[in-house]
Amino acid sequence: MSRPEHRTRTLAATALLTLTALLTAACTQGGAGGDDGGGGNGGAEITVRILAGSELEDTAALLERAAEETGVRAEITWTGTLDASRLLASGGEGGADAEAAGNYDAAWLATNDYLRLHPGSADVIVSETPVATSPVALGVRREAMDRLGWDAGQVTWEQVHRAAADGELTFGMTDPVRSNSGYSALISVASALSGAQSALTAENIDDAAGRLEEFFTGQRLTSGSSGWLAEAFTGRTDVDALINYESVLLSLNRDHDAGLSVVLPTDGVVSARYPLTTLASASPEARDALRTLAEWLREEEAQRALTEDTLRRPVIPEVTPAEAIPDEARRELPYPGSLEIADGLLEAFDSQLRRPSRTVYVLDVSGSMEGERLAGLKAALRRLTGTETDGTAPGETFREREEVTLMPFSTSVVFTETHTVDPADPDAALAGIRETIDGLYTLADTNVYGSLMDAYDLLGEESLEGTFTSIVLMTDGESNYGPTAGDFTEFHNELPAARRTVPVFTVLFGDAAPEELEGIAAQTGGEVFDAVNGSLDDAFREIRGYQ
Amino acid sequence: MKRILSIVLAVLLLGGVTAVLLREAGADDDDGTATTTVYGMVGSEKSEFFADPEVIRELAGHGLTVRIDPVGSWAMEEAGLDGYDFAFPSSQGPADVLRERLGDTELPARPFYSPLVVMARASAAEVLAAGGIAELDGEHRGLLRMAPYLTAVEEGRTWQDLTGAEAHTELSGALYISSTDPLTSNSGAEYLAAASYVADGDRVADGAEAIERTAPLLRRLIQVQGAQRSSSDAPYRDFLSGIGNSLVLVYESQVAHLLLSGRQPPEDLVVLYPDTTVFSDHTVVPFTEAGKELGELLTNDPELRELAVRHGFRPQGSTAEFAAAVAGHTGYLNHDLTGVRQAPSPTSPVLRAMAERAREQEAGS
Repeated sequence: MSRPEHRTRTLAATALLTLTALLTAACTQGGAGGDDGGGGNGGAEITVRILAGSELEDTAALLERAAEETGVRAEITWTGTLDASRLLASGGEGGADAEAAGNYDAAWLATNDYLRLHPGSADVIVSETPVATSPVALGVRREAMDRLGWDAGQVTWEQVHRAAADGELTFGMTDPVRSNSGYSALISVASALSGAQSALTAENIDDAAGRLEEFFTGQRLTSGSSGWLAEAFTGRTDVDALINYESVLLSLNRDHDAGLSVVLPTDGVVSARYPLTTLASASPEARDALRTLAEWLREEEAQRALTEDTLRRPVIPEVTPAEAIPDEARRELPYPGSLEIADGLLEAFDSQLRRPSRTVYVLDVSGSMEGERLAGLKAALRRLTGTETDGTAPGETFREREEVTLMPFSTSVVFTETHTVDPADPDAALAGIRETIDGLYTLADTNVYGSLMDAYDLLGEESLEGTFTSIVLMTDGESNYGPTAGDFTEFHNELPAARRTVPVFTVLFGDAAPEELEGIAAQTGGEVFDAVNGSLDDAFREIRGYQ
Repeated sequence: MKRILSIVLAVLLLGGVTAVLLREAGADDDDGTATTTVYGMVGSEKSEFFADPEVIRELAGHGLTVRIDPVGSWAMEEAGLDGYDFAFPSSQGPADVLRERLGDTELPARPFYSPLVVMARASAAEVLAAGGIAELDGEHRGLLRMAPYLTAVEEGRTWQDLTGAEAHTELSGALYISSTDPLTSNSGAEYLAAASYVADGDRVADGAEAIERTAPLLRRLIQVQGAQRSSSDAPYRDFLSGIGNSLVLVYESQVAHLLLSGRQPPEDLVVLYPDTTVFSDHTVVPFTEAGKELGELLTNDPELRELAVRHGFRPQGSTAEFAAAVAGHTGYLNHDLTGVRQAPSPTSPVLRAMAERAREQEAGS
């Protein structure tokens, strides 16, 4: 430890005082927190369970230091901010996820603004401490800046719209339904293109719909989390720009030499504030520990680390922002003021504004899937058709305009069936998909690679322009029939560019071989979703964010 | 009741149910043992004051150990009082409700207060001044003229409409001050109180009719902001972080505390005092003798008054202490509140109805 000694001592004393306070509280409150541990464990550590935005993974080292110095250890579950907000709000309403929400003492999300729009939120949030800020910005590759003749300090969302509409600019952005960086961008663009002077209204969204649709024709990459998106972007030199937090873009420049111009559009930005938020489910002990942690994070040293190491903006005046952070002032665009407008914007995005999804589900129905596994698969797929009445947010089910192909396989592909969700009558396609799912039955061997090749061949007959195309591969075992991994790699390398960039999202299930699925994901620019340690439902639902 | 309590708990700046154990840590004197522990519900903006080691020591010197639960001022009105010796809301409305509940006829102690002020970016302050909406008194201080400001908001005026804004990229879109959610936060509610007083011809709203008269304006003040935060710490931190709106409503104590702790404020800070503002009257409502003793100490003990000043509060009764302390910071602080008048605040139920009305979504749009 390199800290000056006196400082460490002060902190230790604070922690002790805190502990004394806790013990006193436990006694006076008549058994409020009596069951675990009781008293007497000296300068003990306390663990607080935090649901945190995935982009905050870069604070791991800082939190480790916090644990050493304050005795407050953060046990973190990483997630998308909007997903987390819905989970927590559902807890407040006593909804389906109330129990899951109760597993956390705190939330540390990009913003609580979306959460606070939910009627249950007031029963959930006890207190909040903003810890650092970062506006959502546009990172543009140098070649594209030159081609477009842009000056980083002068670009407007209107210009970005024009460039995207004219096919001059492609970009990646997270799924606004799940992730706050995507949602903040959507708010910014909708505000700018509608000319809204204050918080968005339903009319603003209607007014801008046509132009928003044009804007999103430029989107080439989508994802459920900003971390994956940043990684995928570095591998896709054909994508010109990335919409993400200023901190993420600056980190890409620093760590991956991405050479991005960080553009804060002059017509306004939406910023993340990262409030460390104590939840009502926290015990008195946890609440106190969280306060200690929040205060520590606002001390000079932590604030300096937050800006120097993670390139966020500090919230105390004695620490100046890291050198790389642009110091141009921007109008802060308001977050929507009601859930109706906030979710209305997301629904419009999903059903109308974004490019439609083109998805191929390659599903293992080999012999080993017999019984519970097949039943689990059917249930998870049925969920995607919107059979759940509670808690299906937009984007968790098949979307309007989506073209869905089901390709069950065993020794070979059993059949190929495609449904398109017609906005005029979405239920027809969804009912068709359900019927097919219900009729699935198991067969013999597992031909993973051959079936995947069939999926790519199928897409070869289509124009992939204008859609988000992806393949989902679910298998519960190793490939034991047909082409090998090597054959697939060779096949994939020779695909034309349009198809080669179609990612395969693999679902690890049953006795599937992780290295096989990781290999496929790596080769195709996809990602592995774990349904062995997690549920099949969650895996399929999470993948929606990448489609 | 649970819901209301929770709503107001959301106000809290930092915190949890257990707060601060105020006891002498070091055993450098032996007679600190005979202290009485006093339990209180305290508005979150005073948590830091009660956690200050010097405050703890001073209270202990008078035989008191204070333990607080940070509770939003509005939540106190309906909170259970068992086990508490006092409540310390940040405005008079909740204090009055509590006293009514208790049948208390004695005057409560009001040890300190703090006016609501606007932290403005220099660019915004200058444009407002040029447009007659603000008057600047030096580089970092001025008055916000409420009447023209409210007219501008009511008419949907944008920054672009004002001369000089074009030189500043950040000055575009509707002109408004960011406040906190009036349903959960005292400062947000008091903002409405001041606005309604000015808009209704210097009358304090006293019921449904008065609320109706200013409802369109108040709704506009709130709805332009979109999602609002639940504690005045949030807009304050935005400002320090260099993001957010160019005009944010905070307590003077937040700015004064920053200055008095020797920290450098942001270079482009201008403190605008609304010419009609509401004072946050921090009021001690005692439930027991010990609570009463605390109220008296906070009001009369010179050391405690000085400590309150250091936290940016203005002690009641005399302006000398505050003036002396901020003598070096008058570039930012209007220590004698020249040109500022205090709008009386409506009663709690009226203010709450006003806030609900302002937050309501407009039917059919």
